Amino acid sequence: MALPGPPASGPGSLRGNILSSTTPAPLFSANAIAKNFGGVQALRGVDFDVSAGEIHALLGQNGAGKSTLVKILNGVHPAGSYTGAVQLDGRTVSFASPADARANGVGYVPQEIEVLEQLSVAENVFAGRTGLGDGMLVHQRKLERRAGEIFSDLGININPRAYVASLTSAQRHLVMIARAIVLKPRVLMLDEPTASLSGTEVEALFGVLRRLKLQGVAMVYITHRLPEVLAICDRATVLRDGKVAVRIAREDFTPETFIFSMSGQRMERLFPEHAAPIGTHKALEVRGLTVAGHSGAVHGAKDINLTVAAGEIVGLAGLLGSGRSEILHGIYGRARANGEIRVADRMVHIKSPGDARAAGIALLTEDRKRDGLLFNLPVGANITIGNLSPLARHGLLRGGLERSSIVAAMRALNVKASSPKAAVTHLSGGNQQKLLFARVLMRAPKVLLLDEPTKGVDAATRHEIYRLIVELAEKGVALLIVASELEELIGLCDRYLVVADGRIVDEFARGEGGEDRVLRSITAAQAQSHARATQGDP
Amino acid sequence: MNSAAELSSPTRDTQTLRRRLIGLIAVGEVGVLAAMALLVGFFWLMEPAFLSERNVRAILNVVSFVGIIAIGQTILLVAGEFDLSVGSVAGLSAVVAAKLMTAAALPVTVGILGGIGVGALIGLLNGLIVVRLGIPAFIQTLGMLFIGQGLIQVVTGGYPVYPLPDAINDIGATDLAFGLGWSFAFFIAAAILADFVLRRTVLGRNMYATGGNQEVAHLVGINTNAYKIGAFILVGALSAVAGMFVMADLGSGGTSIGSGWELTVIAGVVVGGVSLFGGAGTVAGGVVGILMLKVVQSGLVVIGVNSNWQQIAVGVIMVMAVGLDIVRRRYFIAGA
Repeated sequence: MALPGPPASGPGSLRGNILSSTTPAPLFSANAIAKNFGGVQALRGVDFDVSAGEIHALLGQNGAGKSTLVKILNGVHPAGSYTGAVQLDGRTVSFASPADARANGVGYVPQEIEVLEQLSVAENVFAGRTGLGDGMLVHQRKLERRAGEIFSDLGININPRAYVASLTSAQRHLVMIARAIVLKPRVLMLDEPTASLSGTEVEALFGVLRRLKLQGVAMVYITHRLPEVLAICDRATVLRDGKVAVRIAREDFTPETFIFSMSGQRMERLFPEHAAPIGTHKALEVRGLTVAGHSGAVHGAKDINLTVAAGEIVGLAGLLGSGRSEILHGIYGRARANGEIRVADRMVHIKSPGDARAAGIALLTEDRKRDGLLFNLPVGANITIGNLSPLARHGLLRGGLERSSIVAAMRALNVKASSPKAAVTHLSGGNQQKLLFARVLMRAPKVLLLDEPTKGVDAATRHEIYRLIVELAEKGVALLIVASELEELIGLCDRYLVVADGRIVDEFARGEGGEDRVLRSITAAQAQSHARATQGDP
Repeated sequence: MNSAAELSSPTRDTQTLRRRLIGLIAVGEVGVLAAMALLVGFFWLMEPAFLSERNVRAILNVVSFVGIIAIGQTILLVAGEFDLSVGSVAGLSAVVAAKLMTAAALPVTVGILGGIGVGALIGLLNGLIVVRLGIPAFIQTLGMLFIGQGLIQVVTGGYPVYPLPDAINDIGATDLAFGLGWSFAFFIAAAILADFVLRRTVLGRNMYATGGNQEVAHLVGINTNAYKIGAFILVGALSAVAGMFVMADLGSGGTSIGSGWELTVIAGVVVGGVSLFGGAGTVAGGVVGILMLKVVQSGLVVIGVNSNWQQIAVGVIMVMAVGLDIVRRRYFIAGA
């Protein structure tokens, strides 16, 4: 019947839906959305919709395309930068910006807390909003009264006159949600709203969401935590590799279905063979390491015990914020930590990154733009920085020696730059990453800590990095790797440690399990802490 | 074939020429030097007396004083901090040295060392407070600017310290060459040394790393706090030296030595391409920037422009220089 027309799976118009189905007409929908970032296909034809009064979970591993989809629905990626259509009430909308989306009734609560600390709660709730009928003037009392009304409506117990600086991060999150709700959105998208909340606070948030549901707000709930999906969501869509892997209705919700669909069988990706036998002596041994959580992150890491043999590749699996990066930072002296660290059976006292380097430990950080590259120095100096003493005599740099060692390092790692004097800004993400590898390898470390070594690099470089990692292991370097992409971790490592809530909750060797086992351990640990928090607190 | 080769070789020549030119412009100091050459030519055409021996000597003499401080300020800016208290540190060090030599009747060398010690100590204090307590350099050194001014009055009671020992007056009166004395010699020697240290030593490279991104520098094992505190101490000590040279030049420990220098120094080095955000710039650039500011000020006097307009010119030049620098970075370096 509908041969030449658009795909029939879309919601079509409101009128069409009345005829066709018993489910409520979707209020907000995305049809056949595709988007690529410079050759990388982030979304490949995704259909997604949410109805009034529904909470729809959006799931998937890091890199599956969740945040890209939300950014399209929210106007961060403006209309025109993607293909496919976004529809609100059956009419195609093209948001130019998040403000445009807000004006059309689509609200968004980001994962990061963005509040104005110097202002009061009420001022934060109404920050940037007009329409209280006072023109240019701010009527303090009126703001506070209105904020108070909204809070009691949602069952939030926060004094509107309090300063945001005095609130906990959970309360700040509620303030951000209130800020989105002030505009009376018809659609509300929440990006990992519970990432910084404790069990009781999660319950409070759920109470708010249930009220909004009764008011007919359509909600998109992005999360990594399966127990929460089971607790509050009506429907779930799992993304994998930029496509919808599966849509699950509430009656089919079980942890098993989610784990299966999230890990699934992905496109075969080649991991180099790690053939050489793993050394017998412990290159790195950590006993009872406790790492302080730095500002913003709730979790540090508690009572970590681990060993890495020479030539062994060990993976730290866990969700964002689970404490996996903090373990690396604790070992490297970047974060304050207590515990015993031994390198090649010798006790070392690490108080700063300098101490760690002296002990033969090197760290590749997760975010190369923020704490990896020096944009004020050229490619060459970026490689040698921190490794200058062998290239100098009495503190005087030996230009020829430095240049030749830079050229050698660039060739060894296949760093493509027009010259050692080129600016690092002009390198591709992959080449920037290889440059940082060249930097950390210049000292021939015994222990190499890698935090997301392939984040934001192209497929070809990714493969080069895998090969490099295996080569280093075969030369006897001990590697401890954090990676969000489970497939990568499973394909690369000899042994896996699963981190949840700052603790190591499971450990297994290659062949004893795969992605499913990691997800299962994480889910079990989360369910446990969820239960502890809801029961334990009075 | 033949004609093609003939055609392509000139294009290739112009290409390499173009690349060389771009490379030359991309070197920070060249732009300032070219601008300064233009300005000198302009003032000379307007009034040939601009390049008279007397006027050139006067310019260089003034530059030697502020220039000594500019060397330290450049290094501190490269390390990612800056110091607004340099002028009052120069003045305070001078009057302390003068008091030690006169009222306390201590030997001249002790007086000089005392003056330098005061400068270095204030630098250390600035550094410790900024680095350890995390108080922004702007606030800390602005506070120190006022404290120093107050201390000058406390030390002197508001009167210039006079007369000074003959040895000091001799330092001020020495004519090494072309009517220029010890202050100029010290300035040139220190500038060459500092430029070399920043360009060619591990110390210098680590300084750039510290100012470029402190977290990265820390992670590669650089003791960034030590570098910053060291740079603050250096600025303090060099300010003291400059203040004492002015004292020797005047033959008296005047209470107004150094007043107003802080902004001249920062404006000058910024004109010379030193970044206010840290991690970029050279001593050569900073020094040439100071020289250019002084050339403009003097040139406007010589061609008879009202003195109020000189201040306006300094302001305009500073903003223009930074604007041009941003354009240069965006189009030449980025495009090369």
